[in-house]
Amino acid sequence: MIAAGHLAALAAYIVSALLLARSLAEGGRAVPWTASAALAAGVLLHAGALAWFSVRYGELPLAGIGPSLSTLGLVIGLFVLGAASLGEARPLGLAVVPVAAVLTGLALALGIAPSEPGGFFGSRGWFYLHVLLAFGGYAGLALASGAGLLYLLQLRELKDKRFGRVFRFLPSLDKLEDVGRRSLVVGLISLTLGLVLAWAWTVHFQGSLQLREPKVAWAVGTWVVMAAALGLRGGGPRRERWGAALSVGGFVLVVVVYLVLRVGMIHGGFF
Amino acid sequence: MTGPLVVGVSHHTAPVEVRERMALSPTAARKAMGEVVRAAGGEAIVLSTCNRTEFYLAGAAEGAPEHAERILAERAGMDRGQAACHLYRHHERAAAEHLFRVTSSLDSMIVGEAQIQGQVKAALRDARDIEGPRVVGPVLIRMFEHATTVGARVRSETTLGEGAASVASAAVQLARKIFGPLAGRRALVVGAGEMSKLALSAFAAEGLRDIAVANRSAQRAEDLARRVGGRAIAYEAAWGQLADTDIVVTATGAPHRILGPDELRAALPHGPRQPLLLLDIALPRDVDEAVAEMDNVFLYDIDDLLQIVGDNIERRRWAVPAAERIITEETGRFWDWFSSLDVVPVLRGIRARAEAVREAELQRALAKLTHLTDEDRAAVETLTRQLLAKLIHDPTVRLKQAAGNGRGAAVMEVARYLFAVEEGVEGNG
Repeated sequence: MIAAGHLAALAAYIVSALLLARSLAEGGRAVPWTASAALAAGVLLHAGALAWFSVRYGELPLAGIGPSLSTLGLVIGLFVLGAASLGEARPLGLAVVPVAAVLTGLALALGIAPSEPGGFFGSRGWFYLHVLLAFGGYAGLALASGAGLLYLLQLRELKDKRFGRVFRFLPSLDKLEDVGRRSLVVGLISLTLGLVLAWAWTVHFQGSLQLREPKVAWAVGTWVVMAAALGLRGGGPRRERWGAALSVGGFVLVVVVYLVLRVGMIHGGFF
Repeated sequence: MTGPLVVGVSHHTAPVEVRERMALSPTAARKAMGEVVRAAGGEAIVLSTCNRTEFYLAGAAEGAPEHAERILAERAGMDRGQAACHLYRHHERAAAEHLFRVTSSLDSMIVGEAQIQGQVKAALRDARDIEGPRVVGPVLIRMFEHATTVGARVRSETTLGEGAASVASAAVQLARKIFGPLAGRRALVVGAGEMSKLALSAFAAEGLRDIAVANRSAQRAEDLARRVGGRAIAYEAAWGQLADTDIVVTATGAPHRILGPDELRAALPHGPRQPLLLLDIALPRDVDEAVAEMDNVFLYDIDDLLQIVGDNIERRRWAVPAAERIITEETGRFWDWFSSLDVVPVLRGIRARAEAVREAELQRALAKLTHLTDEDRAAVETLTRQLLAKLIHDPTVRLKQAAGNGRGAAVMEVARYLFAVEEGVEGNG
């Protein structure tokens, strides 16, 4: 049931991305409503599968690599759905829905199993809240990165006077900048709260901030990337472009560092 | 029944000098419709736009098209012979197909333009609203209503209406790709010529917050600013406005560049903090291309706008075959409906005759079967009704089919003969 729900959600995400790609390939026609409907179906199926996981195993899918990647995929899907409700920002799904699909696919490949007994220390509630807030931050960065990528593409089309399908398909620079900035604001607030909570939790249960832990350094690095991408925006002729570029580059960096740390980890833990 | 017919003049057959004289104002159109219907009976609707003036007629006696042609010729101050070389007629199915093409804007000067659908609706509304004897009836009402449905279908199922098709609307499309909705943005227009007027009208419709107009002739700047609800400023003060401007339209008659990197740097020493769209629609151009190298500056000239228009029109052309398919399909549907009108009187006649026979035979039988209870009598009556309905079901369906595939007249003759339905006594059910 859990795997089937994930498979159905993955299929819906892929259909949504394909519909958007077809719309672009056909010459930048208005984004079909079916793309948003497929995304909404994917999010619903995904949420249903994770709800079933929680009922079956008596824990939220926030611990262990498979469940947490799946939940992150769902949060990103929700963020894209929120952006798609703005109408003009629907094409953004082309850049970000595949991220949700990849995360869901990875979760399926790695197995969506409950956490090991004794894996938690301290209160589960603290942990769950921390992970959810952190995922809100990463989803914000993923969306900002997608918006940034499309911003740079549309900027290139406008500057080079290319009025083809990409120009027609992509939203306005203003909308992409707006979505990117809002995503960073929401994501940064969420990640900040997640980090503060994690530190309070660590100090309470372990007596120190554990700043040398790779996952802590990684989370702080992500926070710095987001703050810089947000700080660069506004106030100067090149700021929006640099902000967009940093959102894209920062997201790639965060993902690469995560993978390196993950692969390099000897002990599984909760990273 | 006499099928629909269209008589008219359009941009395909007449230059603007002729079309403008044949055009009918709403008042003149109402008068003309009344005149044609009084003279020849039937139904009439006039569709008069800047691309065409057409009379749609149905059920009229002979001479109605000639009457319409005479009205058009008289308005143009021509004799019938002179006018005839600009006029065209389409009969029956071709008339319906023509209206569907017109409403879908396939027949427009700018293919894909949206106004025609509203104009077709307005023509029908005007005809319906005429006081006194009615000038429209079921055929033209159905045909015009069907036409607006066809137009909507073509627009929703094809790309025929997508993208800007004029320089002014291309400028708006471009601005939207930078700023999104333009409401609340500020524009500066330098030059008050015809191109400025067109561009400003398009931008003004987008709900800009502020429009400043600068021109060497202060009076012309005032006039243009008043037209679009903007404000006139001194020509020399134009570049001083740049810090508070999102969109600049330049369309002066200056023989040299009036805005280059130096002027821009002088006005904005740190460069534009927000995107600045420069639309240079003057020939020779007003803005030095070097300013496009600056960050946040987006410079486009008339060729760029024409490229957008060209791309959009090309895309509209791709959509024409799909639109034609829809029109052919819908014309078929309309024609099936129209053809079925011819068989209605024959079907009524057959039903009336059959019903009379049934009723007479039933009464005769019941008179003999006096021992039957009321329930039994009702059952017998139901039986006769059901028998009759089943017997005439197939002839009814086949007559309608024949009407739709062009064999209607011959099959109806046979039906009349076989069922002894005489013309003129076809029942009134």
